[in-house]
Amino acid sequence: MARMKFLCDAGRCIECNGCVTACKNEHEVPWGMNRRRVVTINDGSPGERSISVACMHCSDAPCAAVCPVDCFYTTDDGVVLHDKDVCIGCGYCFYACPFGAPQFPGDGAFGSRGKMDKCTFCAGGPETDHSSAETEKYGRNRLAEGKLPICAEMCATKALLAGDGDKVSDVYRERVTYRGASAGAWGWGIAYSKGKQE
Amino acid sequence: MKLVKKVASQPENANHSQLGRSTMNRRAFLKRSGISVGGIAAASSLPLSMLQKKAHAAATPAASSGDETKTIRTICTHCSVGCGIEAEVENGVWTGQEPAFDHPFNRGAHCAKGAAVREHGHGERRLKYPTKLVNGKWTKVSWEQAITEIGDNLLKIREQSGPDSVFWLGSAKFNNEQAYLFRKYAAMWGTNNVDHQARICHSTTVAGVANTWGYGAMTNSYNDIHNSKAILVIGGNPAEAHPVSLQHIFRAKERNNAPLIVIDPRYTRTAAHADLFLRIRPGTDVPLIWGMMWHIFKNGWEDKKFIEERVYGMEEIKKEVEKWPPDEVEKVSGVPEDLVKKAAKLMADHRPGTFIWCMGGTQHTIGNNNTRAYCNFQLALGNMGTSGGGTNIFRGHDNVQGATDFCILSHSLPGYYGLSAGAWKHWSKVWDLDYEWIASRFDQNSYEEAAGKPAKPMNTKGIPVSRWIDGVLEDKEKIAQKDNFKAVVMWGHAPNSQTRGPEMKKAQEKLDMLVIIDPYPTVSAVMHDRTDGVYLLPAATQFETYGSVTASNRSLQWRDKVIDPLFESLPDHTIMYKLAKKLGFADQLFKNIKVNGEEPLIEDITREFNKGMWTIGYTGQTPERMKKQQQNWHTFNYTSLLAQGGPCNGEYFGLPWPCWGTADMKHPGTPNLYDMSKPVAEGGLTFRARFGVEREGVSLLAKGAYSKGSEIEDGYPEFTADMLKKLGWYNDLTDAEKALAEGKNWKTDLSGGIQRVAIKHGCAPFGNAKARSVVWTFPDPVPIHREPLYTSRRDLVEKYPTYEDRKSFYRLPTRYGSIQAKDYSKDYPLIMTSGRLVEYEGGGDETRSNPWLAELQQDMFVEINVVDANNNGIRHGDQIWVEGPEGGKIKVMAKVTEHGVMAGVVWLPFHYGGHFQGKDLRSKYPKGSDPYVLGEACNTAFTYGYDSVTQMQETKASLCRISRA
Amino acid sequence: MHTLNQVNQPRRKLTLRSMIILVLIVIVAPLIPYSVAAVKEGLSNPNPGAQLWRDVRQRDGTVVGQTQARGVDSGILISKEGEQWRQFRMQQFTPYSAMIFAAVIGAFVLYFLVRGRIRIEGQRSGETIQRTTLVARYIHWFAAVIFVLLALTGLILLYGRWVLIPVLGPEGFSATAIACKNIHNYIGPLFLVSVVLLFFVFVRDSLFNFKVDTKWFLKAGGYLGGSHPSSEKFNAGQKAWFWVAILGGLVLALSGLVLDFANYGQGRILMQDAHIIHSISSVLVIAFFFVHVYLASIGMEGALEAMTSGDVDTNWAKQHHDLWYDEMKGQGGGKQDTEA
Repeated sequence: MARMKFLCDAGRCIECNGCVTACKNEHEVPWGMNRRRVVTINDGSPGERSISVACMHCSDAPCAAVCPVDCFYTTDDGVVLHDKDVCIGCGYCFYACPFGAPQFPGDGAFGSRGKMDKCTFCAGGPETDHSSAETEKYGRNRLAEGKLPICAEMCATKALLAGDGDKVSDVYRERVTYRGASAGAWGWGIAYSKGKQE
Repeated sequence: MKLVKKVASQPENANHSQLGRSTMNRRAFLKRSGISVGGIAAASSLPLSMLQKKAHAAATPAASSGDETKTIRTICTHCSVGCGIEAEVENGVWTGQEPAFDHPFNRGAHCAKGAAVREHGHGERRLKYPTKLVNGKWTKVSWEQAITEIGDNLLKIREQSGPDSVFWLGSAKFNNEQAYLFRKYAAMWGTNNVDHQARICHSTTVAGVANTWGYGAMTNSYNDIHNSKAILVIGGNPAEAHPVSLQHIFRAKERNNAPLIVIDPRYTRTAAHADLFLRIRPGTDVPLIWGMMWHIFKNGWEDKKFIEERVYGMEEIKKEVEKWPPDEVEKVSGVPEDLVKKAAKLMADHRPGTFIWCMGGTQHTIGNNNTRAYCNFQLALGNMGTSGGGTNIFRGHDNVQGATDFCILSHSLPGYYGLSAGAWKHWSKVWDLDYEWIASRFDQNSYEEAAGKPAKPMNTKGIPVSRWIDGVLEDKEKIAQKDNFKAVVMWGHAPNSQTRGPEMKKAQEKLDMLVIIDPYPTVSAVMHDRTDGVYLLPAATQFETYGSVTASNRSLQWRDKVIDPLFESLPDHTIMYKLAKKLGFADQLFKNIKVNGEEPLIEDITREFNKGMWTIGYTGQTPERMKKQQQNWHTFNYTSLLAQGGPCNGEYFGLPWPCWGTADMKHPGTPNLYDMSKPVAEGGLTFRARFGVEREGVSLLAKGAYSKGSEIEDGYPEFTADMLKKLGWYNDLTDAEKALAEGKNWKTDLSGGIQRVAIKHGCAPFGNAKARSVVWTFPDPVPIHREPLYTSRRDLVEKYPTYEDRKSFYRLPTRYGSIQAKDYSKDYPLIMTSGRLVEYEGGGDETRSNPWLAELQQDMFVEINVVDANNNGIRHGDQIWVEGPEGGKIKVMAKVTEHGVMAGVVWLPFHYGGHFQGKDLRSKYPKGSDPYVLGEACNTAFTYGYDSVTQMQETKASLCRISRA
Repeated sequence: MHTLNQVNQPRRKLTLRSMIILVLIVIVAPLIPYSVAAVKEGLSNPNPGAQLWRDVRQRDGTVVGQTQARGVDSGILISKEGEQWRQFRMQQFTPYSAMIFAAVIGAFVLYFLVRGRIRIEGQRSGETIQRTTLVARYIHWFAAVIFVLLALTGLILLYGRWVLIPVLGPEGFSATAIACKNIHNYIGPLFLVSVVLLFFVFVRDSLFNFKVDTKWFLKAGGYLGGSHPSSEKFNAGQKAWFWVAILGGLVLALSGLVLDFANYGQGRILMQDAHIIHSISSVLVIAFFFVHVYLASIGMEGALEAMTSGDVDTNWAKQHHDLWYDEMKGQGGGKQDTEA
């Protein structure tokens, strides 16, 4: 079965935030919560690169490991989802997640954050597919319609790829091959520059 | 005691967009849609209730019967890339947005704004109903009352002060039909005081480029960049302003190994992906370009054959370029020799290369010099008229190209026909109206001369948007029209995109009446202190109506209507009908346009302009052809934009203008301008013979170069009926065509026969000439460098002074030298420049009212270098004052960077409004229509300074000082 | 006389040595350029992507990127501390704390089975003396109730996933956990108050007396056999418990406040660290708490009265807190118990 993955091609991401608003649009994510965000390293300097990050749907998900109420589950596709009805809003998944994917609607006074919300790989949640309960709590379920996450589908430069890990790798590998030197392969800039150098 | 942060979560029984198959109406959908209120929200969901909700939800079946979801195709309303959008609508409610994978421009991709357009279906902060300012309070009125009162006021002003006392400010966000209608409307009203955003955006491009080789538009296309072997971007930041264009730029970069050269004062997001970055002092484009050409000529890299055959006047350019050796270039622009040479060599080594520019190059007092310098660069390298080359000018708004082409401009009629009697007669014929009647609508007196004879306002350039405040405030004796502006109608145009904010406030307060017609109140509603005489009329967005729109690459696309107008808004053309009826010229305006109820039929308007836009070939794009293309997006090739099989076989996507002749001719459109490798019938083209046949003994026609299949194997002038006779082709015209074509030329022949016959013989109807490097009608025939009006380099002012003051230019006195004479650089030592952010568009009220976008850019800021920050005791995040030399000052947050801007330069985004000189004006907005995010408009601080040909404002190079607030 | 062997011996040795040296040279020599190259390595790193990903992974220190999304730590792309914290909590803390608790409880079960209840020597005298005031008792119980609630809810949140989900089911445990979390978080700040009050009430009697208390520790309080060492009002063990409870309690309370009021923009690392401190100190305090409760209730006859009525039997006092009894006797504090 396909194992779903995200890959953000830092060579193409221009921090247009299209992925961010596409996700907000599709799932009506409220103000203050960003399931996906774009982070730029070295902003304003040569070497500036941007990467779009949301939940990476880890194989050994730290969020699932630390959850006191064990509300996470992984689908057959490898998508990590959770049950908002069981979630107690303790915030542990946010501490454990390397990517900072879990988001909370509340601010945390007296530990009241509300139910954790995060990227679902547009795969909804434990409720019945396309039911109003699912849509209301988790957003749209695109995977059940045979579609892919909206963030990747709407990426301006196709930097963000999402889908079957094998296919994503193929796409990226093809790009790396085309790019040659600028992919960062050691020594290729000098050996295989295709006349780009003077 | 729960403390919740500013967040909106759904109230307990809210539902998100009901994508299950149940029905609902729009009101219920919006109510239940969990929209943020932009302020403190209600308490968040309680855990136990969620338990109950699940039990309840489990009872709801997954797919129940209901209305089906319709997929409607439209085009994004934000920028000129023209991304396709697939809107999912259920029972009239816009519930989903799917990527339009089939669309050849974007293939489903969007930037932040495009991915968020569905919010237009929410419209929480929209202007909901006609509103009038009464005693300082916003009062709801009916459409009838609003139109009646506005109409009465306008008629009164017309009677007392003349038709020129109303300024009709139109919009780049009109669709083509609305744009055309608006220009016609202004003509019916009887004034040339009509303008729109192009004036302050790419007017210098259009003037400079059109005067170089005939048309002033993007010559190739975004997709054609796939074929580029080098890409140069100067004064532009497409990564933020046209993000989807990067999809195409990356393709060239990755597959052709095309080097990307970026020239900008600021290290932008585009520069982050550049192979070569040149940091330039704002306002020194000409020295840099000439500096690059210095290396090109010195090393013989120019394309001599191309210049010989297709360019006039390059020797003059060479002479000017000799004045720019590397050390002078570095002294003036700050770019060292090795980088200049490297940039030049990269472009020379990797041909065809494309040249892209935006506001960084156009918004200067010498904007027209800059744009012509860019053109000359590409001419010298022979990069014109070839796939992968060209001057790919990225236009701004979604339909600024269309609005420009229909000339919502104070200096021309639609199609760039100009304002001469001949132009008016042409359009009178198209409009099927009596020329004398139209002339009678104008002020009959004369206030200025043209060619030594008194000229009437009908034939003289009107006041442009960049100067409208002077139209109000200037001494009326000094204006070349009867009286000042008494009323301004801002129709789809924000005020905070024009400079001199404090003066604008005064101007708004001096008017008898201010009318704003817009989906949002705009900053015009709040920046003045008026208590009466302001009307806000809610217009519908482009998602609530339909029609055609022209992307930057000249492709026309058809939009379908996604949803009905929200609240009480009306489409612009309906509002035009209502006003025209009140003002008394509806019969004329809509003589051959059917009006259903109060809504003019869009397709009739299309057909009308198809009948008249011969100059730029808007004649072949009929509604039927455009609609067919819309249904067959997927058949067009991603790189060439040519349909490969299918119902549109052989056509280029969007039938890019010029799409010659009538629709019967089935011209496929012209994907790349001036490309002689194809026959004109298949989209090829020559340079336009626009400037005469000969000058000073030298022929201006192309020398031995001609488009493929041309029966005239040399240059030739533009086609007239007489010329057809001389060539012996006259009898190729049908009798019907002859009747209309006799005595006419390719621009005024309403049958389209002259064009058809010329093309039949492989010739371009507008002639085959050389591009001219020297524009002898401009103030600087050969582009030269002049320091900005407000410059910090006083040492260069003597050698590179600005122009002399003019007594009357576009009817207004316009100052140059008298401003530059004073040294402001001691008190205002920092160069102030401006630019764009990806999340916002234009004046910003629309996008700042979209919570998904507003959340990402919540603060207005100024980007300053760490050195300047430290020198002024400013730290990152501090509130500081940025003050311009004309007294406008703004209070903004400091964003301190090390490499973003260089020391001595500060950068401001221009999309904010709603704060004015430190004061928060949120309470002045009509209730419920204030955007989520407010901020200072940078143009409050920006200054006087206007291009010498188009009156473009100088918003890319001014001065300021900063201080802690 | 030299034999051929003897003559050849030195030659063989030379040959062997030179063979060895040659082999060594052959092995070492090619490595020389590498070491030179390694020295130069810092000057040329031809892989431009490497530094980017080092920054993303925070390998060379914290690198905070720029982002338009507002939120805690939103500028950090990949944080390694989260995984470290996860390892700590799941692989170390949870199992080890369970073991510690089991060990402590087990130890006292064992002790009780072996030693039984520690009786009052010579039965009750019938006379009592006052040991704790009403205020002290009130504050003690105030703190006790709060502590028990916090400890219980905390332990449920820690172990519930394995212990209670099988019993209550996911939704049932979720409701339980939410209740526990709310109780823990709302009552938590009160704990700080109770610790401070406890401190002021009992500090004077908890100051260590070097001579007396060292002897008490050396004799293990007499619990493991041998004579009963002298003790002041609080024996050394009680004093130790005081300080563990106060200091540990303060640490718990303060780290708890950091965790409880996350609305001041605390970063993840701070929260993880606070959690680690909170959880480790909770084990310490709860473990001691088990000891205290055991001894104060079933472990020792006559002890509980000290905190209920406030008056203790004189024989009990003489037996366990002789120095205090003598001091009190000198001041003449006694009360006739009406009914033994």
